[in-house]
Amino acid sequence: MALLEVHNLVKAFGGLKANDDVSFTVDQGELLGLIGPNGAGKTTLFNCIAGMFPPTSGRIVFAGEDVTALGAPEMARRGLARTFQVYVAAGDLNVLENVMVGCFMHTRSQSKARALAEGILDDIGLRDLKLNLVSELPVAAQKRVTMATALATSPRLLLLDEVAAGLNPSEIEDIMAGIRHIHADLGITVMLIEHVMELVMNVSQRVIVLDYGKKIAEGPPRDVARNPVVIKAYLGERYVRERKVSSDGDRHEHHGRADS
Amino acid sequence: MEAIRNALDFSDFPRIDRMVALAVVLLLVTFPLFPHSAFAMATMIQFLMFSLYGMGWNTIGGYGGQVDLGKAQYVGIGAYTTTVCLLRWDIPFWVSMPLGACLSIGWSFIIGYPLFQLKGHYFAIATIATSLVLKDIFEVWKFVGAARGLGILPFKYQTPDFLRLIFKEDVYYYYTIFGLFIIGLLYMNWFRKSRLGFQLRSIKDNEEVARSLGINVHWAKIKTYAIATAFVSVVGSFHAVYVKNIEPEDTMSLDISILIALMAMLGGAGSLWGPIIGAGVLIPLKSYLKEWLGAAAGLVGIDLILYGLIIMIISAFEPRGLWGIVEKIRRRKRI
Ligand SMILES: Nc1ncnc2c1ncn2[C@@H]1O[C@H](COP(=O)(O)OP(=O)(O)O)[C@@H](O)[C@H]1O
Ligand SMILES: [Mg+2]
Repeated sequence: MALLEVHNLVKAFGGLKANDDVSFTVDQGELLGLIGPNGAGKTTLFNCIAGMFPPTSGRIVFAGEDVTALGAPEMARRGLARTFQVYVAAGDLNVLENVMVGCFMHTRSQSKARALAEGILDDIGLRDLKLNLVSELPVAAQKRVTMATALATSPRLLLLDEVAAGLNPSEIEDIMAGIRHIHADLGITVMLIEHVMELVMNVSQRVIVLDYGKKIAEGPPRDVARNPVVIKAYLGERYVRERKVSSDGDRHEHHGRADS
Repeated sequence: MEAIRNALDFSDFPRIDRMVALAVVLLLVTFPLFPHSAFAMATMIQFLMFSLYGMGWNTIGGYGGQVDLGKAQYVGIGAYTTTVCLLRWDIPFWVSMPLGACLSIGWSFIIGYPLFQLKGHYFAIATIATSLVLKDIFEVWKFVGAARGLGILPFKYQTPDFLRLIFKEDVYYYYTIFGLFIIGLLYMNWFRKSRLGFQLRSIKDNEEVARSLGINVHWAKIKTYAIATAFVSVVGSFHAVYVKNIEPEDTMSLDISILIALMAMLGGAGSLWGPIIGAGVLIPLKSYLKEWLGAAAGLVGIDLILYGLIIMIISAFEPRGLWGIVEKIRRRKRI
C-alpha cells in the first residue's frame, strides 16, 4: 500500500523550478533513497511534502488523504516527521528537553513526555548525553539528536535529510545502523536523502534520482548506479568533489545551503 | 494534580539555588517587621511589582524569544479598569482585577494576531506602536479623565478596606503584592515545565523545526502573549489602588515597557530567577538614583542613560543576563 503519493509536483522559486513535475510513491514499510547532485531539489521536495511551504502545483497524498494544502504542524500530527539538513541549535534546550518537545505532540503531561523521551534516548544510544546542550555536542551526536526528536512524534513516515553529511566513516556506520534499526525494528517507513550516492545504495531498497529538479531515474540501487543518465548527472559533481577532497586532504564535507 | 505538583517542585535546581530562594522568601516575609523607612517600603513594593511584570514578560520575551516592548499598555488597561470600576460603580478590586485581566487578554488577542505575523525587530517596533496608540487614545478619552487621568480619594473609604484594597499603611499593600508574587512564581515554575513552555523554547530555538514537531507557532505565541498580558494587567490593577492616581503617562509610557523588558533581560531572559534578579538590581538602583539626583531638574534623564547602557552591555557580553553568567560558570565547572 502506498503511504505517500506525490503527483506531478512543481515548486518554483521565481523563475527557478526547484522541483519540476516530480511523481513517485513510497510504500508502507519501505526504505527509499533520494539522491541527486547538490542543488537538485531534494531538500525542496522534503519541504513540500512536510508542508513547510505549499507546492506551486501538483498533489500530495498521505495515508490516502490529500494533504497538499496542509501546513507542517498538521503533517506532523498526521504522522510525518523530518530532520533538517542544516540545523543550528543555538537555544538553551538540552538533549532530553529537545526530544521532549517532540513527545509533547501527543501528551500534555510533563512526566509522560519525559518518560517517553528517556525511552527514545536509551533506544538511540544518547542516554549519557541527555543533559548536554545540543550546541555543545559533536556533529555526529547532533544528527542523532535530531533523529531522536523526529522519532519522538511517533511518525509513520520519517524523512531524513543528509544525516550522514559531515561525518567520518565510522560515524556513518553508526548512523546507518541507527537508520536500519528505525526501519526494521521500529517499523517506520523511511525516506532518506543523501548527497553521497554510495551511502544510500547500501541501505535503500529503492532509489529515486533527482537532477535539476526533475526525476531522472528510479529503481533498485544497483540498476540506478549503472544508469548512464545518473552517471552523467553525477560525473561533473564528483569530479569537482574529488578534486576538493584531494586538495585539502580532508574528509568529504559537502556544501549545502541553509534550507529555509 | 500534576500541575500543582510541578508548580511546587523546584527539585531540578541545585540545592544552593533552593536555599537562596528560601532565604529570600523568608527575608521578604519578615521585612516589614524590621525597622524601615517609608522609602524602603515603597522600593520593596516596586521590586515585587516589577518582578511580576518581568515574570509575565519572561513567558513570551524570555522563553519565547519575542522581544515585546509594549507591555505598558496592559499596565494601563488593568489600572484603568480597576480605577473606573471603583469610581463609577464601586466595584471591589477582587472583581475589577480579573475583569481587567480579561479585557487585557481580549485586547491582546486582537492585536496579537497581526503582531505575530511579524518577526524580530519588526515585531518589537510594532509592539511599541500598539502601546503608544492605546496611550494616545486614553489621553483624549474623557470617560477615563483624558490626559489628567483619574484619582482615587482614600478618605472616602474606611481603611483598611480589604475588598477595595484601599489602605493607609503600605504594609497591607506589601503583603498583598507579596502574595501575588508567590502565586506568580509558582505559576512560572509550572509554566517553564509545561507543554507550552517547551513549545516556546523550541520556537525560540528554530521556528521551522518547531513547526515540523507539530507546533502551531502563531497560536502558541498568541496564547503566551495573553498569559504575559494577564500578569501585567493584574499588577496594573494593583498599581491603581496602590498609587491611587493614574494618568496615561505614568501607566502606559514607553519607559515602563522598556523597564519591564530590561529587568527580565538584565536578570536573565528565559530563566525562572531572571526577572526577580533583574528587578532586585534595577529597582533599588532606579529608586536611589531618583532620590539622590532626580530632584535636580534636567537630571531625570539619567535613568534612560542607565537603561541604554545596560542594553548595550547585555547585548555585547551576555545575552542571557546575570543568570546566564551563573549558568555559564556552573557549566564550566561541570565539564
Ligand atoms: N527558499 C528558497 N528560495 C529560493 N530558492 C531556493 C530555496 N530553497 C531552495 N532553493 C533553490 O532550489 C534549488 C534546489 O535546492 P535544494 O532543494 O536545497 O537542493 P538539494 O537539497 O538537492 O541540494 C537550488 O537552486 C536552491 O538555490
Ligand atoms: Mg539539501
